[in-house]
Amino acid sequence: MVDFALLHRLALATAKSGSFGARTADGRIALTALPEGHVLQVLASPGHADIEQAVAKIGDGKPHAVRAYGPGQWFLVGDAPLSSSEIFAKASQLDGAGSVADQSHGRVRIEIAGTAVETVLAKGTAVDLALSQYPVGRSAMTLIGHISALITRTGPDSFELMVLRGFAESLWDELIEMSLEFGVDATAAN
Amino acid sequence: MASLIACPHCGPRPKEEFTIRGDAGIARPLPDAGEDEWHAYVYLRDNPRGRHKEHWHHTSGCRRWLVVERDTMTHAIYTVTDASAQGETA
Amino acid sequence: MSSYRLSKGGNIDRAKPLDFTFDGKPMQGFVGDTLASALLANGRQLVGRSFKYHRPRGILTAGAAEPNALVTIGEGGRTEANSRATLVELYNGLTAKSQNRWPSVDFDLGAVNSLLSPFLSAGFYYKTFMWPAAFWEKVYEPIIRKAAGLGRATYEADPDSYEKCWAHCDLLVIGAGPAGLAAALTAGRTGARIILVDEGFTPGGSLLSETEQDATNLLAQTIAELDSLPNVRIFSRTTVFGWYDGNVFGAVESVQKNTVTVDPNRPVERLWRIAAKHAILASGAEERPLVFGGNDVPGVMMAGAMRSYLNRQAVAPGHSTVIFTNDASGYATARDLEAAGLHVAAIIDSRPDAPQKWTGSARVLTNAVVLDVKGGRAVKSVEVFSNGRTETIPADALGMSGGWSPIIHLACHRGAKPVWSDAKSAFLAPEKQEGLTLAGSAAGLGSFEACLGDGAAKAVPALEALGFSNASAAFAATSDNAIVSKPLWRVQGSKGKAFVDYQNDVHLKDLGLAVSEGYVHVELAKRYTTNGMATDQGKLSNINAIGILAEARKVSPADVGTTTFRPFYTPLSFGALTGASKGKHFQPVRKSPLHDWAKKNGAVFVETGLWYRSSWFPKAGETTWRESVDREVLNVRKNAGICDVSTLGKIEIHGKDAAEFLNRVYCNAFLKLPVGKARYGLMLREDGMIYDDGTTSRLGENHFFMTTTTAYAAGVMNHLEFCAQALWPDLDVQFASSTDQWAQIAVVGPKSRTILQALVDEDISDAAFPFLGAKEVSLFGGKLTGRLFRISFSGELAYELAVPAGYGEAVADAIMEAGAPHGICPYGVEALGVMRIEKGHVTHSEINGTVIPSDLGFAKMVSTAKPDFIGKAMLSREGMVAADRLSLVGVKPIDPATTFKTGSHILAKGATPSLANDQGYVSSSCYSPNLGSTIGLALVKRGPQRHGERVTVWNDLKNEYTEAELCSPVFFDPENGKLHG
Repeated sequence: MVDFALLHRLALATAKSGSFGARTADGRIALTALPEGHVLQVLASPGHADIEQAVAKIGDGKPHAVRAYGPGQWFLVGDAPLSSSEIFAKASQLDGAGSVADQSHGRVRIEIAGTAVETVLAKGTAVDLALSQYPVGRSAMTLIGHISALITRTGPDSFELMVLRGFAESLWDELIEMSLEFGVDATAAN
Repeated sequence: MASLIACPHCGPRPKEEFTIRGDAGIARPLPDAGEDEWHAYVYLRDNPRGRHKEHWHHTSGCRRWLVVERDTMTHAIYTVTDASAQGETA
Repeated sequence: MSSYRLSKGGNIDRAKPLDFTFDGKPMQGFVGDTLASALLANGRQLVGRSFKYHRPRGILTAGAAEPNALVTIGEGGRTEANSRATLVELYNGLTAKSQNRWPSVDFDLGAVNSLLSPFLSAGFYYKTFMWPAAFWEKVYEPIIRKAAGLGRATYEADPDSYEKCWAHCDLLVIGAGPAGLAAALTAGRTGARIILVDEGFTPGGSLLSETEQDATNLLAQTIAELDSLPNVRIFSRTTVFGWYDGNVFGAVESVQKNTVTVDPNRPVERLWRIAAKHAILASGAEERPLVFGGNDVPGVMMAGAMRSYLNRQAVAPGHSTVIFTNDASGYATARDLEAAGLHVAAIIDSRPDAPQKWTGSARVLTNAVVLDVKGGRAVKSVEVFSNGRTETIPADALGMSGGWSPIIHLACHRGAKPVWSDAKSAFLAPEKQEGLTLAGSAAGLGSFEACLGDGAAKAVPALEALGFSNASAAFAATSDNAIVSKPLWRVQGSKGKAFVDYQNDVHLKDLGLAVSEGYVHVELAKRYTTNGMATDQGKLSNINAIGILAEARKVSPADVGTTTFRPFYTPLSFGALTGASKGKHFQPVRKSPLHDWAKKNGAVFVETGLWYRSSWFPKAGETTWRESVDREVLNVRKNAGICDVSTLGKIEIHGKDAAEFLNRVYCNAFLKLPVGKARYGLMLREDGMIYDDGTTSRLGENHFFMTTTTAYAAGVMNHLEFCAQALWPDLDVQFASSTDQWAQIAVVGPKSRTILQALVDEDISDAAFPFLGAKEVSLFGGKLTGRLFRISFSGELAYELAVPAGYGEAVADAIMEAGAPHGICPYGVEALGVMRIEKGHVTHSEINGTVIPSDLGFAKMVSTAKPDFIGKAMLSREGMVAADRLSLVGVKPIDPATTFKTGSHILAKGATPSLANDQGYVSSSCYSPNLGSTIGLALVKRGPQRHGERVTVWNDLKNEYTEAELCSPVFFDPENGKLHG
């Protein structure tokens, strides 16, 4: 048996970190790679699109744990990793009304925050992200430039983006470009 | 440059988020419907000037297939509904 | 300070001088100048040479319609040809050059063209350059290409950045003149989200050229209030260039076009897509030139432009100005010139009587026209005909006003046709269309007060319809007291060339020629004469041409109609359209979880769509890719290899009806696939052709794991979703793309089992885990759960191990460590390709949209028991069962030292190369180090029946012929002994 150190390599481990763009003190954008905890994709069976309550029960109960992005479609998100048996148990709780696919490694979460965050994201998506149209807690699946991402508003000046692992570094670089005019502080690996 | 489609699940989104498949007014024939019907289903399409229903996939959004009824001349969009509501079954 | 800049007045900042150069000559201007106003202030009127005749040309307008003052701005990668000097905001260090002249704009040898003008009339290119035929490619075309165009583009890379953005609003107001400001103010006060856009560097539109204190106060107050409203965004230096479906407006903002020191953190231009619930088009009206002899001599200018340069930049047009007008506007210019102490020699009014009260000094001639302007490079005198008498008036400037055309372009971008109004002597757009309303002079109004009232009045119902019931007009409605006169389309008896389209050098006689040759339809006349086809898109010329055609045909302009309006209103840079998608950001990069692992092992990458795949892994001393690939292939078949196959599509399929669903999308049977087994599946299109292939495994009663090819992963997912949602919505089946969730590692070769057993806790002996096994496994003593599949693309004993992506690199390292004593090496897609060709395994080289399962030897895979599956019905077509279909076969050269290329065609031995004799083509080929020869797969008529036949492989592109033999596509280990090792 090979003696093996199980090393979890973060998707953004070698992505650009540091301060870029305008050297202003105020109004800067903060870009942060979030912990790779758990991401579960929950898909309802036909006739069961109303299982929102059941879905919320298997989430970790923290703010924005449940992210609806389409009819009968949710992501359950959290900072703590889950084992396969824990995920299996949660899936069973849905009792056939829906299925669960583990995307904890397939999706990467990025936080983007700052007073100009809506202006920055408007360089990529056509979704109207103004607070009056997109309240805290709302999620939408959309394109940012050419990359698909789930955008969740987590606060008046902050959003969480969730992207396919394969595109994470590319999206990270794009977000830095989009933020240069305001100055951006990017933290890829904590 | 633009064109916004009002996805019933996601709201107005630009056409880049969608994939267009084609005429939604045709039903998949039964397996034994015969060569002529199948040939028409696979190859023949009307080319209407005016109102026309198409299947659009909201690929970069909710990933639901939609039926978009629009005018091929004026580009006006009349209705956008979820394709499963249409019940297109063989 | 030149004599053309007045010592006081204007809105320039005399405390902020700016240095610039024109054709190398240093000049000075001020903040508030455009390049055009600064050139005029420096006494420089002659700024270019016309396209065809190389006539001296001066600044004609003060805005977007400028046809003459096209200059090249900037240097190196920032060179911008054909910039309109009237819109260039003057800045320190600006360098500008005139165009289309040699050696200089003042003395241009190209002027000889003027002498050739009888041969260069409209349509001459349809009648010349035709003989001798051979001269076209070698002589005429190169000369024409060199002569074509005005400015020259640079070949250097643009160092600046561009951006594209979306903006959302309830009401978009296009134009910040009186009507637009009134609409924006009315709307802003309701709290609605407003965007006000104006192409000028400061809002105000026509108000900026007004001298009356009321107007300037109103402007200042309105802007101050708009600035204070948080729900109002003002975009200056922004041109709305198009109205698109979904009520989206395209606009381009000049962010840093007014400086030499560009901040690299910001773009120089920004393309906006503005999604507006409603828009008010308050784009104003364009003054019309008059068509008379010499109307293009430098110093001849639009009367309104003269007034603008005078009042905004304190620039005098000349020492003695003649006004030629058909409209009240000419008088306003004359009044302002005299108020500034400048001499107006005469006002030539073409109308029988002058409706305006004129109390100024200049004499007024009514029922009078200008026949000719003398001067060549500058206006020297004006020949006037009035009441039967001709008179020559000395002058150095002429301001002309032929009436006003509402700027309706945007309103006609989505198919609406403008309508001629006799009352307004102009084409008007339909005033209300869904999503857009016109206001102010764009809607045909004339007086300043009427425009203010109209802008406010149009905003109110728009806002109410959007749910803002508190809307109240910011200004009272007033009736329009502007006098509209009948148009004077051309001056009869003009001497010399009377220009209609300045930029393309189209003059009155050209239009006459078009009519006499039968090109009377407005679209034909346009193309025959090129009127309206230059970069100014006919802003000044279209209306006059239509009027001239109408007169020639003795009909109303309503019967002539307009040519089609299309975006863009003004030219748009490629940079703005590209946005950030250039260089490294041209397209997203998609990286496998094993990317860095491959890099640290020395991989050379190849782009496959957006993915970067490892192509081969050179070892020290290897100098060619073939050396590396040959070594990898031999080593894998002898010892073992590790290959990253993470890019292939992976889909988790759940649901009670998952098996039934798979049974309907694959042509082979899946309903009874046992848990723990994988099966190769062929997915067909409805026309019977193979769409994609892959391996699908059953991991649980209601859980399947599907793989697809890399290239078709997205397409297959869309297809599965269509089938489930649109075709069979009652089936309980869900799909989750897990391509990125799993790192998928192929471990391949005779030693592969031994190597993997060092990592996998369960027994994976042949008995315990036979060929096509698929199950969850425990790794490293329970530290990690993965999935193991015993499948083979190479034909060797082989496995694929899937682990969560974040652990991919660590697991690949562990496999390399465990495999080191066994001679494991990493290999890439080149070696992968060689091995699969050696085994006759197909890819999308064979599955090219024209093959059905039986063509590839998969006839037995097509289920006869299933009542239905995608593609079943069309498979039974006559052509699909024909005997001579192109079918899979192997090809190898007779002499192993010779080669052939993929794409070559197959001929029967001795046959003449021709389409009729074409037997098929080579779909894949490579050098096989195991066979010591080039080998190929081919699709050949009745291929499987022709093993052993001698053929010729024919490459017509390179005129190469290779003698070859058709054979079994399984070149290596035909008994598949290694697979079941």
